[in-house]
Amino acid sequence: MSPNEATAEPTEALVAGQRPSAGRHTLALFLSELRLVFGRARTQVGLGVLAAVPLLIGIAVRIAGSDSGAEGFIGQIAGNGLFLIVASLGLSLPFFLPTAVTVISGESLAGEASLGTLRNLLTAPAGRSRLLAAKMVALAIFCLAATMTIWISGLIVGFILFPVGDVLLLSGSTVSLGEGLLRALGIAVVISLSLLGLAGIGLFVSSLTSTPLAAMAATFGTFIVLGILTAIPQLHAIHPWLLIYRWQSFADLLRDPPYWHEIGRNLLLQGGYLVVFYAAAWARITSRDIT
Amino acid sequence: MGVAQRSRRWLVPVTAVAVVAGVGALGPVVADASPKLPGISAQDLLAKVQTAKVDGLSGTVRSDADLGLPAIPGAPAGSEQLTEMLSGQHTARVAFASPDKARVSVLDNQAERVWTTDGKSAWAYDSSRREAVKLTVPEHKTTKPEKAVPSYDPQAVAKQFLDAIDPTTKVEVSGTEKVAGRDAYKLRLVPKTDKTTVGSVTLAIDSKTWVPLDVTVMPRTGNDPAVEVGFSSVSFDVPAASTFTFTPPQGVKVTDKKVPSQDRPKRVAPKQVEPKQTKPGTAKADEPTVIGEGWESVAMIRGAQTGQLTGNGPLAQLLAKAPTVSGTWGTGKVLTSKMVSALITDDGRVFVGLVTPDTLQAAAAKAPR
Repeated sequence: MSPNEATAEPTEALVAGQRPSAGRHTLALFLSELRLVFGRARTQVGLGVLAAVPLLIGIAVRIAGSDSGAEGFIGQIAGNGLFLIVASLGLSLPFFLPTAVTVISGESLAGEASLGTLRNLLTAPAGRSRLLAAKMVALAIFCLAATMTIWISGLIVGFILFPVGDVLLLSGSTVSLGEGLLRALGIAVVISLSLLGLAGIGLFVSSLTSTPLAAMAATFGTFIVLGILTAIPQLHAIHPWLLIYRWQSFADLLRDPPYWHEIGRNLLLQGGYLVVFYAAAWARITSRDIT
Repeated sequence: MGVAQRSRRWLVPVTAVAVVAGVGALGPVVADASPKLPGISAQDLLAKVQTAKVDGLSGTVRSDADLGLPAIPGAPAGSEQLTEMLSGQHTARVAFASPDKARVSVLDNQAERVWTTDGKSAWAYDSSRREAVKLTVPEHKTTKPEKAVPSYDPQAVAKQFLDAIDPTTKVEVSGTEKVAGRDAYKLRLVPKTDKTTVGSVTLAIDSKTWVPLDVTVMPRTGNDPAVEVGFSSVSFDVPAASTFTFTPPQGVKVTDKKVPSQDRPKRVAPKQVEPKQTKPGTAKADEPTVIGEGWESVAMIRGAQTGQLTGNGPLAQLLAKAPTVSGTWGTGKVLTSKMVSALITDDGRVFVGLVTPDTLQAAAAKAPR
């Protein structure tokens, strides 16, 4: 094959082109994969929508006033803008964030397949595992970028629209604003890690098909089914094994002291899902026929 | 690359599934292997429990209750906390320092309820409502469940207790287990009667401090505990005094309450999930009468709000499905669950107990009108 055909995809150009030293090559592959993910219009639109979530919530709370009587984090926004970050992250978790992760992960391998570029990538057998790793790392960075977008947007909107000050924790004690921001940052990181299991599923599904839309639909369908299973109380025996069962545990970071048990269990579960589906995607991609 | 060689790659994800599932399912089991401890008799163990005295402790308590109670939507307010604690899983952080400092915080989903006292004042805080209630405690010492009064012979009391329950209950040390990382003896109480729904009650007692760390109630049928309350982590270091103080934060509504009586509503998590409770909706009825003794005890409550039972309320719908029984005592509806049975007679009496429905009817026949 000729490197000239590969101008459409930077990843391919690198794999097909000459190899520099392995380390530099890998780094370049990862960077080009990042450029590919974050260069897509749908990624930027998705991040834009996520950035709009705090703005919408902030304006709604501002209009409703402080006496709206809402419970939980939303009710605290009017008193302290910092809670806009926490509330936005919490409200994005059940739908917006999984949707974004589904779209990007469904695209990752199936998108290349639909463009015909995956075929070229796969003809370099030594590069397959590394290609998959680059895709996964890019997905993980996207998860972090998605939650950090909400964190930053929530910070800006919250500080403009509402008073800020010392942060009231769930346990009834108060910490400084700086520590509150740090805890909110921790929540953003925990939530981005919580999305990794779903990203792994998306990557695997994406390796099965050459239609990105099918991959997205299948991944999102899986997510919905997991959500329904989690909502059926009679199935409580299998609940601890379900991907999203402990997603809400991020709020444990706002206790005094933080309660790590549930968060740890959640991250272990995400790790388990990631290992299984990443291994499956690896088996699929390395044994795939080049047709 | 041959087909066989390629399909062998799928062994990797299959192995990954097996490893992840294995670690997830067997990990806790391996960690809970029974430790080796010197043998002890039930009487000695009970005597040790009475001498247990700790200056302070802190830890995390988990409770998991599955009494098989039917969900009653729209149950009267006030009973919700009771029914809530009697079902599902809960986690609470507890701390205690001798003689009168205690703190319990129940970790709800994205919320927390805190009860704390430093001996002078007591606070209750609910994070979801952002409301705090302050109780001023009268000057006197409150009794602690952890505190034993060492003015009697523990061995004698243990023997008395064993003799007293011997006709109804088999008591044995049934082995050892690890609870919250500590070696503990298991003390098992098995009812001798088959009229109760309780299969056994097991206490896990720490082998160093002799503090009960875990209580498990097994139903007569089935392999899942009906109630399990115990420490998932515990430390016997005295917590810092600041643990028990509460400063009402800004933006929190504070209500002051004076406590006139000696008894202060204090919640001690390891002891509070006691399944023998009245049914929700009968809280305003008069004091219950107890019929029978031991495991066969049945509580009778008169003057239940029968108005609620007819009509179209959720409880009435539940009762409409319940089977009707009758006997010399009259007619009524029987509600059964894995642990608790209730008989609601047409004349407004409610019989509740951890017993079989037949025992309930027998008790109803003996009951005063």
